[in-house]
Amino acid sequence: MTALESTSPSLAATSPAFTFSASTFQKLHPTEFFRKFASQGVRPDGRLLNAFRPTTVHYGVITTANGSAMVRIGGTTVVCGVKAEVAEPKLHTPDHGYFVPNVDLSPICSGAFRPGPPSAQAQVVSESIDRVLKESKVLDLKDLCIEEGKAVWALWVDVVCVSYDGNIYDAALTAVMAALANVRIRKPTYDEGVVKVSGAEDMNDDNSFKLKLARTPLSATFALFDTSLTVLADPNDSEESICDGSISVTLDEHGQLCAVSKVGAGSSSQSLLKQCIDRTRERATELRAIMSQQQQ
Amino acid sequence: MSRLDRTRTSAHQLRPFFSSQNLLNRADGSAQFDFGGSSVLCSVVGPAEVKIRQEKLDKATIEVIARPLVGLPGVADKARERSIQETLEPLILSSLHPRTLVQIVVQTMKDDGCILSTAFNATILALLDAGIPLQSILGSVTCMIDSETNEILLDPTTEELARSKSTHVFVFDNKTSIAGSANKDQAKDQDQDQDSLEGAILYSDSTGIFTENEYFECAHAGFKAAQAVHGFIRTAVQKKLEKEYQQTQA
Amino acid sequence: MTSITTDQDMEQTPGPNIVLPGDLLPPTASGLLEDGPTAPVIKLGPGLHPMDDDTITAVKAGVLKHSEIGNRWWVESNQRRYVAAAGESVIGVVVGKTVEHYKVDIGTAQPALLGVLAFEGATKRNKPNLNIGALLYCRISLANKDMEPELECMNPTTGKADGYGELKAGFVSKISLGLARRLLDPKSLVLRLLGQHISFEMATGMNGRVWIHSTSTKHTILICNAIKNSEYLDTQECATMVKNLVQKM
Repeated sequence: MTALESTSPSLAATSPAFTFSASTFQKLHPTEFFRKFASQGVRPDGRLLNAFRPTTVHYGVITTANGSAMVRIGGTTVVCGVKAEVAEPKLHTPDHGYFVPNVDLSPICSGAFRPGPPSAQAQVVSESIDRVLKESKVLDLKDLCIEEGKAVWALWVDVVCVSYDGNIYDAALTAVMAALANVRIRKPTYDEGVVKVSGAEDMNDDNSFKLKLARTPLSATFALFDTSLTVLADPNDSEESICDGSISVTLDEHGQLCAVSKVGAGSSSQSLLKQCIDRTRERATELRAIMSQQQQ
Repeated sequence: MSRLDRTRTSAHQLRPFFSSQNLLNRADGSAQFDFGGSSVLCSVVGPAEVKIRQEKLDKATIEVIARPLVGLPGVADKARERSIQETLEPLILSSLHPRTLVQIVVQTMKDDGCILSTAFNATILALLDAGIPLQSILGSVTCMIDSETNEILLDPTTEELARSKSTHVFVFDNKTSIAGSANKDQAKDQDQDQDSLEGAILYSDSTGIFTENEYFECAHAGFKAAQAVHGFIRTAVQKKLEKEYQQTQA
Repeated sequence: MTSITTDQDMEQTPGPNIVLPGDLLPPTASGLLEDGPTAPVIKLGPGLHPMDDDTITAVKAGVLKHSEIGNRWWVESNQRRYVAAAGESVIGVVVGKTVEHYKVDIGTAQPALLGVLAFEGATKRNKPNLNIGALLYCRISLANKDMEPELECMNPTTGKADGYGELKAGFVSKISLGLARRLLDPKSLVLRLLGQHISFEMATGMNGRVWIHSTSTKHTILICNAIKNSEYLDTQECATMVKNLVQKM
């Protein structure tokens, strides 16, 4: 990369040009550095403004879990494992099982995270995923009932981020949906207060079941840069740190919206939101193709 | 069409507003805002001294703490804190008070649906009371789509929300609507550009199952209702100022 | 405390001069429509801020005020937290001491600095010695958003104390900044009414602190209460309130 000049005209006339290397300039003025790229319609990592990073999905990466998946979006890698456990139902919903999504952003994935209780960001992502799954009724919780009032399946949906480079919501949601699609649970038998789950033989269609997913919501996140609200699809870590707003759209396979959120930055016109929804449709189709390709 | 909430007759009717400013003695600003049976109390302290760890050299640190009605704060409260904080950050002229802290505490007092919207409106009133410099004011309204009638209901109660297909929280600032009478000429120009006038969205949070058209219909209904909230905030501030100025006017 | 309730279809009639954040300064009134060297110069006071898009917007809720002298515009608003402004008189408490400065709490985000030599006639050999907890009436000599405010206890033009300095005895009470400004008005109603019955000394800081010294504690408390009570009363109510308080004594 060539050095970028940063100097005022009057200074240049009297003294030799004052130059930085590009990487120094990026460190000193990250926003200005990015603005120079954005004005040309590209981003420092070579992507166009509306381009997503290469995405891969792998199923069944954790053999001890009931279902699992690993998703990579550029430099962001997350692993999701689903563990089914027999549990007592909650008092007010005796015939409903339950699922508990949890996103873990530990110091493993980025120096920005501290060990200890989950950070605000991890909690917010967990909450968003929980709400999307619940509000758009992805799972019929009655399917998870073993014996009403006695025993139900509890699904522990744990997402661990292995490498953090922005856009954790898209990566986590994709991983959760892929892992749920990958889940296989042994058929239980209920007999007088005891739940028996069949033994060690391999799981097949006779002795186990898959989850019925009513829909598969997938999302696309866009960062809003500057007061001009330049839309950056799939922001990476450094882009997230200089943007103060984002738009996130979640869609199911029938083209119905499951969630739309716009936070931060100034007020954005409705046509901007519409643009993002349209772009999400394209992205979701690509993502679904990637997912189904891997599943076979 | 009748609503589950018997006190209201139409789908787009909001519950009665109530507000009260300057009610906490030790805070720099405070306000309560009610949408019918939902009530939120908000306090603002600042610009105050900031911990070195939180200090920002070029602007004020904005901290939001959301407290639930009962029990300890949970994940949902954290999400609410984030929403309020990220929405206020571009609104507060934080560069005017660098190296300081603006702390906002949002306490739910009564919950009958639409707590996030109620909290947004309480927060803006508390910020106005505290005299924190703002780019504009905001107004928030929640709407939902009924799963049985497919109708858009504004400001739903908890009972109505149980029957929702999708819920939508919107926040609009008052910059895109017509501010003051002096701005009439500009308003005319904007009339041609319907899109910019019809509610640029400051914050939006929707979940459930809904179509694109439904979303923008909700945004439209929300924008209209937000005008009523803006108007109410203006009246609230006006009433407070009139009380302060009655000695000088006499 | 003020409370209001309204129905949905309340009338939206903003008063002519009450502004909220986001309201634009009328471009016709301020001469902003004109351009070039003949355009009138406009001076902005507190509560108004030029935005990126070349408009002038109110940033606080209050009453828009205008002065023909110098075409000055500002928003008069009320708040409780003090933000330092140069030239204003304030009341502070010494909270720390270094070789060169006293640290004084004046209610701002950071404590203000008062140079040990910023007193009338102070020299390196002869300077006042203030203890932590001492109460001061002083003037802000320098206020900058990026730095701690600086104070002085003298009039900078004459070098005389002019009433600034340590406040001994008496009592300090916290009030809103708007009320403090109103008390500084020589025509202040509540002070005039109190003065008819009781004699007392007082100092009002723009930072919302008022110091009162009278012949007895009873009187001091009465004056404090009367001042605090007066904030949201009209002329008639204020007169009754003071009368009642004095009678009860």
